[in-house]
Amino acid sequence: MKSERLDMTQHRRYSGLKVGALAVPTVAALILTGCSASTGSSSSSGGSQEFSLSFATSNTIESPFQVLAENYMKSHPNVKITFNPQPNDSYDQTLRTQLQAGNASDVVVTSPGSGTGRSILPLVQAGFLEPLDDAAKQLLPEGSASTFGTDGKVYGQATEITISALVSNETAATAAGGFPADFSSLQQQCKALESSGKSLFALAGSAPPNTGLMAMSLAASRVYAEDPKWNDKRAAKEATFAGSDGWKSALEAVNTLKDAGCFQKGAAGGGFDAITKGLASGTSVSGFIPAPSWKQLQSAAGGSQFAVRPFPAEQGSGNSYVFASANYAFSINAASKNKDAAKAFLDWAAQPEQTKAFAEIDGALPVSGLDKYDFDGGAYKNVGGLMKDGKYGPLPNIQWPNSAVYDALATGVQGIITGQKSPDQVLQAMDAAWDQ
Amino acid sequence: MTATMQPKSEAAEAPRRGKRTPGAGENTRPRRGPMQFGHWWWALPGIALVFAIHYVATGIGGFFAFTNWTGIGSFKITGWTNFEAIFKDPTKLGALSNTLFLAFGSVLLGNIAGLVIALGLNRVVKTRYILRTLFFMPVVLSPLATAYIWKYIFDFDGPLNAFLTAIGAGDQAKPWLADPQWAIWTVLVVLVWSSTGFAMVIFMAGLAGVPVEVEEAAAIDGANLWQRFRNVTLPAIRPAVAIATTLGIVQGLRVFDPIMALTGGGPAGATETLATLVYKQAFALGNFGGGAALALVLAAIILIFAVLQQRLTRSNPED
Repeated sequence: MKSERLDMTQHRRYSGLKVGALAVPTVAALILTGCSASTGSSSSSGGSQEFSLSFATSNTIESPFQVLAENYMKSHPNVKITFNPQPNDSYDQTLRTQLQAGNASDVVVTSPGSGTGRSILPLVQAGFLEPLDDAAKQLLPEGSASTFGTDGKVYGQATEITISALVSNETAATAAGGFPADFSSLQQQCKALESSGKSLFALAGSAPPNTGLMAMSLAASRVYAEDPKWNDKRAAKEATFAGSDGWKSALEAVNTLKDAGCFQKGAAGGGFDAITKGLASGTSVSGFIPAPSWKQLQSAAGGSQFAVRPFPAEQGSGNSYVFASANYAFSINAASKNKDAAKAFLDWAAQPEQTKAFAEIDGALPVSGLDKYDFDGGAYKNVGGLMKDGKYGPLPNIQWPNSAVYDALATGVQGIITGQKSPDQVLQAMDAAWDQ
Repeated sequence: MTATMQPKSEAAEAPRRGKRTPGAGENTRPRRGPMQFGHWWWALPGIALVFAIHYVATGIGGFFAFTNWTGIGSFKITGWTNFEAIFKDPTKLGALSNTLFLAFGSVLLGNIAGLVIALGLNRVVKTRYILRTLFFMPVVLSPLATAYIWKYIFDFDGPLNAFLTAIGAGDQAKPWLADPQWAIWTVLVVLVWSSTGFAMVIFMAGLAGVPVEVEEAAAIDGANLWQRFRNVTLPAIRPAVAIATTLGIVQGLRVFDPIMALTGGGPAGATETLATLVYKQAFALGNFGGGAALALVLAAIILIFAVLQQRLTRSNPED
């Protein structure tokens, strides 16, 4: 009897466990769905006065996007903006995944064209972005409508004009006898600086975006100064990278710079910290980094003056040229439930005083009123003449069809520096990536 | 084998012994017994999760290998195009050879080092418990965090080059992780360092089962140290060798985070592996279809080598 009772108890315990086995996952599932449901409802319950903003951050300095949005909240106390900052190196994939999953922020920071993961055109093609109104159209930089949308519609509101050339430590440049004016005197100065344990350029050789930016800066005077529409020709298959003398010369110049000792020691393995350390301490004179960095460097390296400079062209060629384009834009998520609030923010951000304020926060050039901009005396004084003469064009990879082309250039240049690849091989890989 | 058979036979006998319980003879569920606690359907939630997370997700990923999906928007089914592209592209074949080199290199060196340390710390040494902990530490530490420490060590301005300069070998200083010849060996050093502790633990478990008497008998018979190891110890720890090498190869083939942190696959693809390439293709370059195809190739390679490895190292052909 005792054992029977034991058996009965055990049987009852089994029944209890049966219920438990079913109940645990069921309750867990209910909790999980309950959680997601409540999250979903809270995001939509904010009405038109609440929205979220995604942007990329790459350092500890407060993002200009966040500063602008905080200014908006100050002037509009009934508005609440939720910030979703993402590390720059994973921003593209996070943005794409969130858009695909339908849970991206209401306002997202994008880039024009189709050359990167955050580029507007592929996102428009997938139906993820909302067309914007006239305020955004008025901010379109000249000749860049095709990279901000399709069929006459605009899907991104340009935030600032970014120059991509050189940022130099002017204090260090003066100490080195002044910044070289042309490509041959540049080589001389590289050798002189190398012998004193310094370098003209700080390069993040192990960070492909930096090697790619260097190669494009070299191509500015060699390709795009002579033929600003070169990308259109490549798209129409009237030109190829491998068949372009300008591009070949640009990549051969990488070898010239390396042989002349223009880069810091161990440049092939350098990261972005090599640039910030080198430029801030003055052991390197300049770096191939986006122009707004001058402001951050100047605040980090107290005592040194920083400025933006074009890469010196061949002597007498008259081909000095810089890249100046709106590289970032505000876009509205097509699946957003707070489009009115998002649009109100974009309209506010498009006002001339806000575009001016944004450029000042970031150390860039304003997207509107550039013709009246006072270049003299500021960090942009060395490129003012080129800008006024119209000797500038958009950053080339904005117009490239996919991110694989830029990747082929960037990793290829890394290979040229380490001796693994020849300029021809790199250019062929770029053509293959373009046509894929 | 005997060890695993015992509970089974006990379980089989259990219902007979259970006759002492009145009415047990009529019990239509003879599996109830001291060794039979639970029902198969208790595993259902777990099975459902494993099925959904592993098999369904992998199956869907496998489907995208046959498409041109970019990770967003619509896609077209492109058949075997992605696979053709993999085997035509020299950089992807380079990544394949790097993957195999790093996997087999780390298994070989990691296991030899693990075995040597396990033998050394098996008995005798007084500080063996502390040393075991120290050698096992790399397995416990985050591979990403330790990779960044190694990256600092191998940096051009890092301690390794400083040491070389200090001993007068400054001309040997180089950016180790950006040197096309040395980068992959540098990565291999880090992988061996991190896998040695794991192999050591498995071998120590194996060595614990080797009877001292047999070793002593062999010694009395005049066998030297190598002969004792070759003919007594090694055959006894063969199952441990099989496990350590199989797990090592599977781990080595799919290794991702240390390489991504150390070199990102660079310089110019010199340390690119299939795993880093899958990530780049699928996420960084927006070629989800191509990335999925690469992942499928990687999975197939891991499966083939795991099976091959099991067959080569099993102690009993009837296993």
